Amino acid sequence: MDPTAADDGALLMDAGALDRLHGALRDAGYQVIGPTVRDGAIVLGELESAGELPFGWGVALAPGGYRLRPRDDTAAFGHSAGPQSWKQFLHPPREKVWSARRTAQGFEVDPPDEPAPRLAFLGVRPCDLRAIGIQDQVLGRGEHSGSRYAARRAGIFIVAVNCTEPGETCFCASMSTGPQAGPGYDLALTEMLGHGSHSFLVDVGSAAGAEVLAGVPTRPAGTAATERARSAVAGAADRMGRSMPADVLRDLMAGSAAAARWDDVASRCLTCGNCTMACPTCFCTTVEDVTDLSGDNAERWQLWDSCFDVDFSYLHGGPVRSSPRSRYRQWLTHKLGTWHDQFGSSGCVGCGRCIVWCPVGIDLTEEVAALQAEAQQAEAQQAGTGEEHP
Amino acid sequence: MNGDPASMLSNHAFVRGMSPGYVERLADAAVEIGVPAGYRFFEEGGPADRFWLVTAGHVALDLHTAQRASLIVETLGPGDVMGLSWLSPPREWQFGAEAVEPTTAFELDAAAVIALCDSRPEFGYQIVRRMAAVASRRLHATRIRVLDLYAAPGQRAGAP
Amino acid sequence: MSLQPVPVRYRVTSSQAETHDTVTLGLEPVDQPIAAHRPGQFTMLYALGIGEVPISISGGPAGPGLVQTIRSVGAVTKALCAAAPGQLIGVRGPYGTDWGVADGAGQHVIIVAGGIGLAPLRPALLAALAAPDRYRAITLLIGARSPDELVFSGELDSWRAAGADVQVTVDRATGGWTGHVGVVTQLLDRAELDPAATMALVCGPEVMMRLTARALCARGIPPGRIRVSLERNMRCGIAECGHCQLGPLLLCRDGPVISYQRAAPLLAVKEL
Repeated sequence: MDPTAADDGALLMDAGALDRLHGALRDAGYQVIGPTVRDGAIVLGELESAGELPFGWGVALAPGGYRLRPRDDTAAFGHSAGPQSWKQFLHPPREKVWSARRTAQGFEVDPPDEPAPRLAFLGVRPCDLRAIGIQDQVLGRGEHSGSRYAARRAGIFIVAVNCTEPGETCFCASMSTGPQAGPGYDLALTEMLGHGSHSFLVDVGSAAGAEVLAGVPTRPAGTAATERARSAVAGAADRMGRSMPADVLRDLMAGSAAAARWDDVASRCLTCGNCTMACPTCFCTTVEDVTDLSGDNAERWQLWDSCFDVDFSYLHGGPVRSSPRSRYRQWLTHKLGTWHDQFGSSGCVGCGRCIVWCPVGIDLTEEVAALQAEAQQAEAQQAGTGEEHP
Repeated sequence: MNGDPASMLSNHAFVRGMSPGYVERLADAAVEIGVPAGYRFFEEGGPADRFWLVTAGHVALDLHTAQRASLIVETLGPGDVMGLSWLSPPREWQFGAEAVEPTTAFELDAAAVIALCDSRPEFGYQIVRRMAAVASRRLHATRIRVLDLYAAPGQRAGAP
Repeated sequence: MSLQPVPVRYRVTSSQAETHDTVTLGLEPVDQPIAAHRPGQFTMLYALGIGEVPISISGGPAGPGLVQTIRSVGAVTKALCAAAPGQLIGVRGPYGTDWGVADGAGQHVIIVAGGIGLAPLRPALLAALAAPDRYRAITLLIGARSPDELVFSGELDSWRAAGADVQVTVDRATGGWTGHVGVVTQLLDRAELDPAATMALVCGPEVMMRLTARALCARGIPPGRIRVSLERNMRCGIAECGHCQLGPLLLCRDGPVISYQRAAPLLAVKEL
């Protein structure tokens, strides 16, 4: 969608109609999940009404720092990089895979039969929308199309929210995941405040979106409002505080196995795994087999896991990646490099959560810049010595 | 066997790349032998006065221990050099050696080869380099065996 | 077809002790059998309430049954090794890439097995021996810890009779052993082969595979004609848990059989 095209058919909705949107979603059978203030942060939870959205709350973000701050307006979506992402609903932290019970003949296996919940995600940022698409590729398509993830995903309604105000740690523009939402939403909102009004430009992305919107009072947005919204989003792309050289990342990661920078970051990294928990695309899991006291009933559970865990790579008596250096390298080179080989895209969407939620403030954009500098220096040295050697 | 000793010897891996002149000198100190299975080439503690370039069959290097009459430490076959202790003092065999099957080899007189090496240092250098390569490969292989790679994790090397 | 994480049940029909810690189980399906498997593939075997492990299929493809050889190294494998005929175990699979023995048609197929690595290679050997005229020659070089840790020791003569040149070496001889003693690469050094017409299949501990592959390359065999079977921590077997990564590869999907050309640069990186 051309961000500067005038009057492309978008609709306008007053902020007050958010509650009608919430109601329409409920009427359509969805549980509405969205951002809300709790415990000093903006977290994702079930919203009983649109009033539970974090109106007037923003966040101050820094490497290893996150603080709620009151905004001087009443924006509902004026925040980013909360501690959670939508993956906790699509790819739950704990999930039963199957259960088995002992019988006279041996045992019987029972696949889980819990129906997938119908959830409406209200307030999906473009980076997170892309992250959902990335997890769809890893866990829900092709050979995984019959998975529990795929079943849950089929029941999701997405209301995306375009960004007009980058967070301090955001870099979606350079990762081509924002600030404008890409395809995959049912509805997309662009929040507009000012001139005493608070409204949302609404783009319809699917038939389901149109159906839900039918229950919400809207009017054609018209040229002026559309232009204001589109250019606010486009303008956000120019105000990113960070960037990544996205087109060279795969090769840079592939060539960095022996980089000295890994030792530098390893001296800071606690291998706590916060980044993997906060990251919206990290998907690694482990399995746990449990029985009851009788030993006759067994269950297999799937749990989130992290490549920072030293047991993650356990093989024949010890971990393959025992040093923190190797584990940080695994995470970053997978996220930015080998993800391309495995899944056909980058694993990073530029949401900045790993920067914010790292207790020691490691910033992957900084690490990438250092790795790039090291690689360029090595290349220059090689070119130099090539001439000097007899 | 047909063919003159030098041309037969030149087929052996030990002398690959050696100038024909040097191979001939070595052949002067060599005698071709064929032995039946069970033939003892040497015993542990005996004088290391010969070495062999094995051409066919296979030989076991062994030790006798309190528990076993003979414990095999390594086997050698075609292309291998048998006998490393001849080159340096104390010139004493560290193991015994027995043909496991009918075996043919060139048997070399250590004293003659050493005399040749002393009088012709360039020839000596070739011999010593090749012996060093044999020892190095054997050491490398032995280190790998000591790692006990096929043991299950937690299995101690040396445990029965 | 969508990969399923739920196991089907197989019944143990036979249990053969190969060594003091290794057992070969014969399995027949109770539920719908898993899809036809190819040499080199593996299954996830489940012991009720204890857990699952990836185990290479060690038997030929004939019939719906499965033959799997398990070494007891932990709780799950211990339980599987103790499984008696009549007992049920869970099976998921078959997963992974196969040896592609047929790619060695017209060539000398050299199979080099270290320790328990002979188990995943056995189906490849059996496939070649089922059609020996297709190959210029079939050689099997086995390295084992000691004579009583040789797996499938009772079958070596039948493999020789079927046309394979089978040679065995042990790291450590025990009483009565009159065979080779030394590392398996020493057998390789003595083997006659034409590097332009050879395909090598190698499986064993990773160090052994690296050294063997290097020795094969030193003989002039192109790295693309050498195949190894790699292993990493596996939890799901269906490319969803992320554990079995080796650089760009997910070994449950892109492996375990990989050409040495692809594997060499990955194996060279410490802690990859």
